[in-house]
Amino acid sequence: MATAVKETGDTGIMANKEARQQWLAEQTAKSKEKQVSFINSISSKLGRARPTAAPAHPFRGAPDFWREFEWPIDERAEKFMENFRAVGGHSLRLGSMEEAKQFIVDKAAEMSAKYIIRQNQPELAEMDLEFALSEAKVSVWNSDPEEQWKARAAEADFGVVVVDHAAAYTGSLTVLSSKDKGRSVSLLPTVLMAIIPIERLRTRLGEVLVEFDRAGREQLPAGIHFISGPSRSADIENDLTIGVHGPGVVYAIIVG
Amino acid sequence: MSGATQTNLGTVKERAGLALNNDFLRKAVKFTTERLRTGKEKAAADHGNWDEWRERGRQIRLHTIAHLDYYLNLFVENARANGVHIHFAETAAEAVEISLAIAKQVEARTVVKSKSMVTEELHLNHALESIDVEAIETDLGEYIIQLAGEAPSHIIIPAIHKNRYQIAELLSADAGETLAPDTQILAGFVRRKLREKFLEADIGMTGCNFAIAETGSMVLFENEGNARMVSTVPKTQITLMGMERIIPSFEDLEVMATLLPRSATGQKLTVYMSGISGPRREVDADGPDEMHIIIVDNGRSLQLGDPEFQELLNCIRCGACLNACPVYRHIGGHAYGGTYSGPIGAVLTPALKKNIAEWDDIANASSLCGACYEACPVKIPLHEMLVYLRRRKLEAGRGDKLEAIGMKGFAAVMKNSKRFGAVLKIGKLGQKLVVRDGGIRSKIGPLKGWNSYRVTPSLPSESFREKWPTMEQEIRHGLQEMDPAVKSRMEAIVRERQSGGNGGKGNGGHGHHG
Amino acid sequence: MKVSLFITCLSDALYPRVGEAMVRLLARYGVQVEFPKVQTCCGQPAFNSGYWKEARETASTILEAFEDCDFVISPSGSCTGMIHHYPKLFEHDPVMLEKAIKLQQKSYEFTQFLVQVLGITDVGAAFPHKVTYHPSCHGSRLLGVKEEPLLLMEQVKGMELVPLPFANDCCGFGGTFAVKMSDISGAMVTEKADHVLETEAEVLVGLDLACLMNIAGNLRYRDKPVRVMHLAELLYEGVKGA
Repeated sequence: MATAVKETGDTGIMANKEARQQWLAEQTAKSKEKQVSFINSISSKLGRARPTAAPAHPFRGAPDFWREFEWPIDERAEKFMENFRAVGGHSLRLGSMEEAKQFIVDKAAEMSAKYIIRQNQPELAEMDLEFALSEAKVSVWNSDPEEQWKARAAEADFGVVVVDHAAAYTGSLTVLSSKDKGRSVSLLPTVLMAIIPIERLRTRLGEVLVEFDRAGREQLPAGIHFISGPSRSADIENDLTIGVHGPGVVYAIIVG
Repeated sequence: MSGATQTNLGTVKERAGLALNNDFLRKAVKFTTERLRTGKEKAAADHGNWDEWRERGRQIRLHTIAHLDYYLNLFVENARANGVHIHFAETAAEAVEISLAIAKQVEARTVVKSKSMVTEELHLNHALESIDVEAIETDLGEYIIQLAGEAPSHIIIPAIHKNRYQIAELLSADAGETLAPDTQILAGFVRRKLREKFLEADIGMTGCNFAIAETGSMVLFENEGNARMVSTVPKTQITLMGMERIIPSFEDLEVMATLLPRSATGQKLTVYMSGISGPRREVDADGPDEMHIIIVDNGRSLQLGDPEFQELLNCIRCGACLNACPVYRHIGGHAYGGTYSGPIGAVLTPALKKNIAEWDDIANASSLCGACYEACPVKIPLHEMLVYLRRRKLEAGRGDKLEAIGMKGFAAVMKNSKRFGAVLKIGKLGQKLVVRDGGIRSKIGPLKGWNSYRVTPSLPSESFREKWPTMEQEIRHGLQEMDPAVKSRMEAIVRERQSGGNGGKGNGGHGHHG
Repeated sequence: MKVSLFITCLSDALYPRVGEAMVRLLARYGVQVEFPKVQTCCGQPAFNSGYWKEARETASTILEAFEDCDFVISPSGSCTGMIHHYPKLFEHDPVMLEKAIKLQQKSYEFTQFLVQVLGITDVGAAFPHKVTYHPSCHGSRLLGVKEEPLLLMEQVKGMELVPLPFANDCCGFGGTFAVKMSDISGAMVTEKADHVLETEAEVLVGLDLACLMNIAGNLRYRDKPVRVMHLAELLYEGVKGA
């Protein structure tokens, strides 16, 4: 009996899914048709034919003087930490991943973290937080297809990530999404622990951004997120309140 | 509920009158705009070379809008290749219709929204409610004004007209318990309350700060993390995007990221800047399954090809002009009556609404002081556009008859210096009736408004032109010899001017109309 | 070198003493100022209100008056700024457009002329008073006259210059704005006058008579005995007294 109900349910969902796919296909056809008139109308308002090749863009990106600007690595680390702290984040520089691991373990004990979620990154696997944090439940993002991963991230006290890039001038870290790197891990937990291997730390934001142009559309992940401190809001009297929807406590740990 | 409480008064003057008599509002707006303005000035100074950055920002926006057909098309192709469903809406009604159709398709019961001025333009929340879909604003400021049943009064600080005590009252009613007027406590309550909403919502709805043509990515700037929430957790994402939000590349984004947060709140960068390139990939365990971008015209394309207004499309919605504006500071955003307020609203609202008569008067709510232009990170000459709007209103035959008579009279007198001299003589006789102690205090006729705050000076016994013959004689008599160095300096300036230079004039000013 | 005075209608009618201070001060440097009588008003009230036909009629008197001189000087950043709008105003009339561009190039606000053209910052004035300075919007923002008045004031002996809080904020004049939106304008001028009073200065100095008339009018309405002067007056009085 139960099985029968389930089967009908599945068929229902399948039928629904097909109807949706058909609706989406109709919408796409409509959109492509409308695109022609929409874009042509812009050309006609601009008073010329629609360009077929890319127009020359002489002002692309930052002014030239800015592109030459670069801090030496130690100063870069200093400035990153200074900027990150200025917006209410915590930042420190450690000599090795081993030290970073100890730092996270100590903080977890200090803050009585019970649930920890980490990205499925080799650097973190090597750390073996699962073993070191035997008191807490450590989950590895997307390591089991049956698991509700967003819910696991939402309940977590700590989210642990290794960042893909960082920029010192704005005190920003960059995380990219993938099968092994959830967007939720840097967003839903109460505390974010972000490890920055020092060779990924650049001076300017533009040094990071230009990589995405170089990579090109097909190589981009669904989510690219720049994070510059704990979540905050300026909405009540422009008083920068810390901790609204994202993690209210963020540690940026430079390693190396 | 969308702004109905603000717009039931007919004119800017009437609405401003209300605001001017609301001490709470004036103090709150003044306090926060001053804070934002000071923060912006400091951030710009700390960064350095601010004018070069502004100029670069302006050039990128000018270039993109001048080739909007190319770049928008490129964006659409790339976003589609990323798996995004693209929709085009020429009007607000079309954009609403598409949004509702998607909501019905996914059988949505709740929509969580991050901040979007475009959805305010469309009054989308109201439309969603009409088909029984709950729309929840998740930006703290937007949440507050949604509770109050009001429209945003500032582009980036929607509840700027409310102070922490008023906000505590609203949130306490929502919480069913008394919350202290402490920003930390108030924000904490909203975090807990909205956390559930994010997790159970069917649709996440966002605006779009920039859209990158070459990769089909949409970019969101925010501080709270709510925009990340609505674009990560729900199964369906709908993004409403003004058709002019395009920039060519990520490299160009560096310039916008330099200008926007500093101009808006004085931050080096907002806490979160996200570039989203399509729905979640097959292998990803979060991000929306389905992503829609609705590209909205709603009056924007009317500015294309109009040399006096095309630059309006360069606006990056930072709100710096509101914070710099002395009129906004006194009357707040609701007095402007439209979705957009302050100097940008005074120009954008009529421009988007085809300059219909209903929006004629807001161009008058400016002293043309140019603070907006000076604050604008992409150098939009709003103070000049306001004058163009006033001129167009007359060209459309909607001028004030009395004022027209006055201006004709003004020109009739002023186009001839003899008449001007004669009028001054008559004035000296006429004023004897009203001058007391060298000033005029009478509050009748055209002087009523002016003299409610001031004493008008009286005409002196002789005008300059009457004094001149005697003065000239005296001066000729006592004229000093000119220093030869000064003389040759003056001659050099004239020579340089004739050869096409600017005659050694300083280069700090502007006001050269495009 | 022919230097002509663009007196502006406001100074002509209400504040002749300002024009007088200017020409007498310049005479000390051998500058013989001419006063072409055909000039009236720059046309700004009509231009800003959208009445461009009427503005063109009025502006024509200015274009005619200053056609044949080398320098035009004016006691107003706002009216000089209006001359910068002439090329736009006459954009569809090639003959007038050419005149407009020429006029724009040779027009100077008073302190611009002293500092940039004559190269003078110390006029040898003494003015033993507490003074605060309001930089008018059009002069400072449209023309970029920011440094010049400060350089001149720094050299005045015995003068204590106190900074005006929120100095760069508009005083609320705005031409017809003060009449059409009188309550907003009133709130703005009241706030400006409050800031002046906060400085406890004896004298408020500025470069634009419209703004000064506005602020002085409010101060007087409130019976506040602050003396309001154009910088040309202050310098000339300081030179006579020194």
